[in-house]
Amino acid sequence: MADVDVDVVVVGAGPAGACAAIELARAGRSVVVLERGPFPGSKNMYGGVVYPRILDELIPRWWEEAPIQRWVTRRSTMVLTPTQALTVDFRSQAWGAPPYNGATAYRPDFDHWLAGHAEAAGAQLLCSTTVVGLLRDPGGRVVGVRTDRPDGDLRAGLVIACDGVNSFVAKEAGLYGPVDAANYTLGVKETLALPKEVIDERFGVRGREGVDIEILGGTGGVNGGGFVYTNLDTLAVGAVLKLPKLAAQGTRPEEIIAGLKAHPAIAPLVEGAELKEYSAHLIPEAGLAMMPKLAGDGLLVAGDAAAMCLAAGIWLEGVNFAMASGMYAGRAAIEALSRNDVSTEGLAGYERRLSETFVLRDHRKLRRAPHLVLSDRVQHLYPELITSVVERMFRVDNPNPKPGLRRIVESERRRLGIRRRDLARDGLDGLRSFG
Amino acid sequence: MTTATSSSPSAPTASIAVCLKWTAARDDAGADPDDDRFAGVSAADRAALEVALRLGERWGVPVTALAAGPAGAERTLRDAIAAGADRAVRLDMDADADSRDVAFELAQATAPTGGPCADLVLCGDYSLDRGSGSVPAFIAHHRSAAQALGLVSVDTDGPAADGVVRAVRRLDGGRRELLEVPVPGVLSVEGSVASLRRAPLRRALASRTAPIEVIRTPPAHHRGAPAIVTPYRPRARVMAAPAGDDVLARLRRLTDAGAAPARGETVELAPADAARRIVEALRDWGYLADHDR
Amino acid sequence: MTPIERDPTWPEVSFQDRMDTVRFDVHERAHIVVDGSKCEGCSTQHCVVACPANLFVPTSDGGIVFNYEQCFECGTCYLVCNVEGAITWTYPDGGHGVVFRRT
Repeated sequence: MADVDVDVVVVGAGPAGACAAIELARAGRSVVVLERGPFPGSKNMYGGVVYPRILDELIPRWWEEAPIQRWVTRRSTMVLTPTQALTVDFRSQAWGAPPYNGATAYRPDFDHWLAGHAEAAGAQLLCSTTVVGLLRDPGGRVVGVRTDRPDGDLRAGLVIACDGVNSFVAKEAGLYGPVDAANYTLGVKETLALPKEVIDERFGVRGREGVDIEILGGTGGVNGGGFVYTNLDTLAVGAVLKLPKLAAQGTRPEEIIAGLKAHPAIAPLVEGAELKEYSAHLIPEAGLAMMPKLAGDGLLVAGDAAAMCLAAGIWLEGVNFAMASGMYAGRAAIEALSRNDVSTEGLAGYERRLSETFVLRDHRKLRRAPHLVLSDRVQHLYPELITSVVERMFRVDNPNPKPGLRRIVESERRRLGIRRRDLARDGLDGLRSFG
Repeated sequence: MTTATSSSPSAPTASIAVCLKWTAARDDAGADPDDDRFAGVSAADRAALEVALRLGERWGVPVTALAAGPAGAERTLRDAIAAGADRAVRLDMDADADSRDVAFELAQATAPTGGPCADLVLCGDYSLDRGSGSVPAFIAHHRSAAQALGLVSVDTDGPAADGVVRAVRRLDGGRRELLEVPVPGVLSVEGSVASLRRAPLRRALASRTAPIEVIRTPPAHHRGAPAIVTPYRPRARVMAAPAGDDVLARLRRLTDAGAAPARGETVELAPADAARRIVEALRDWGYLADHDR
Repeated sequence: MTPIERDPTWPEVSFQDRMDTVRFDVHERAHIVVDGSKCEGCSTQHCVVACPANLFVPTSDGGIVFNYEQCFECGTCYLVCNVEGAITWTYPDGGHGVVFRRT
């Protein structure tokens, strides 16, 4: 590895980049992490829950120091029609104590903290520096990056692209196929301030306990979903919207949030809250179907840059996939550098590690889920089917006797014009994914 | 560094200092004081740094960046080193230290007998938290140096041998004043004067571990002095509505817009007499109350 | 007298107030460039609806006026745009653009 400034350049100091840098720096490799924002996390936004289990491997007892807002002890899945709501609500006190499960956190806090661990391990973090291109040798191997600073070329033995959902690095390297807007959703969010006691009371939690509500329906006819999360003294309320539908449908993102907040099931939760911050970010929604090649000569891709975001209805995860893929990229890089082979083949240890762990196994298992969850039937017909069935189940229609569940389902199915064949197929798809 | 020659106006300038006001600018209360993510310096301070670097290059003299504040201020100093400053000095003080103390310590630190001697001191005209811009005036006072504050442009192409810096200052009524400020001197500049250069990649990387000199300062003199919580404003006075046929005309008279200054005089006096005359005039015009005498 | 009830879907804050909650360190260089001439023939103008920062404003003559200053740098506009070359999209220079605080 003659003629390099540094062993590895990591592009992006988000969760993927930070974890890659932690592994490399701890192994004694020289690492430069380039972050285009003024600090790590400044460009990052998400639905609101991070599942840091994978950090057990990197930062023992991370929960004692991570800047979290609340521990999620209540998970609700809500199905909305304009006038109805069905909620499946689960609570576990175990999730409010070590080793915890999920947490709400602000990304400008969490990512900044995690990148601090990379620096502490010996990585060089340089913020306010945008990577504008790749350096390649005559054979096409990636040998560094070009930044937007004067004299901004940095030569490296290996580049790890953790540059987020738009990953210009992975695209420039030709690792992505044609980009299709249908593979992306837009996440829009409001951070709304309420006194902590009011949040505790409205959501039925105490201390650092928190709530995560995932919502199907309520997005104004645009395929997607909604969410409400509790932070310490703010709420995160937002929507995830399928891009082509959003564009074609005519309602603007902030109007969709306003509609969600006005829903009778949501309005009492958010009433009187003051808007503190409005934000938006893209989500690589399609999972395995959109994933790029994960390695090229001299290059690895991790996190959102590799579309490692699990958007599967009841599971909505991304930061954990970013942290894990970054960590495994770091390990594969150490291996490749020590063997002095950073070719695509030499970097095969990365994909092998991902395939052996949840990162690719979850994506493979749930490969049909994103399409199913965002399909028109799941989005526009099934919420009404479910809520109207439940409404008839619980409606006391004396003097008529109670109808049987099968008869209700059958009559509602017919009323909504859902074909039995489609219902069976979707059910089977759901069973294959989630079963 | 020798000191005797550097205080002589005609001698070539030996060094330049730029003072950067680091401000912890996070809006929510109870934030961690060491959290530097939302902290930084004003556009005016960045302009001052750029002017300092250009003059330093033009004159071939080193540039020292100074900041007063807690350890969090060091990121700002590293950014200054990345952009081209030769040295960085942090005066270890509270983030909310009184302007008079900050100015005193900065004057000490830049004085010929002090640490990093500087013949020309540059400051931003305002800080991120929009102070009064008084620190450079206090520094000039303590250094007995010439001062030119609130400059809207600085000529960075003049040779060091001139012993002066040519600059333009904004006056009331949209007028400009061309100044020749002798060195040693203190300048403060507006943010529009220059935009700070991008730090080259390698300097930026090296700056992360560059040494920062820390000067421990004695306890503040002005601690316990009454805190100034609002900017000074002349007291309100009852005024008769000005003459004018329509609202616009009356407004024009009220605001002096487009009109020749309603009052004012040009006098040529010795500094001490001039100062006396200014105080007299301010009192006559109602800007100074009796207890201000 | 009965008070007038607020329409719950009516925005609580104006769009400008909404954007004012977000911090932007704007750079003088526009990081997104829109070729207005290419927009004139565009019948869908998907960017106008989809941009979460509402940066694309249709003009009466069928074109698009674009501001880059309050951009979330999300990428929605170039993905939904169906006119080749109408939107040239890059990130702002390092250290500039949106700075999230509580997201």
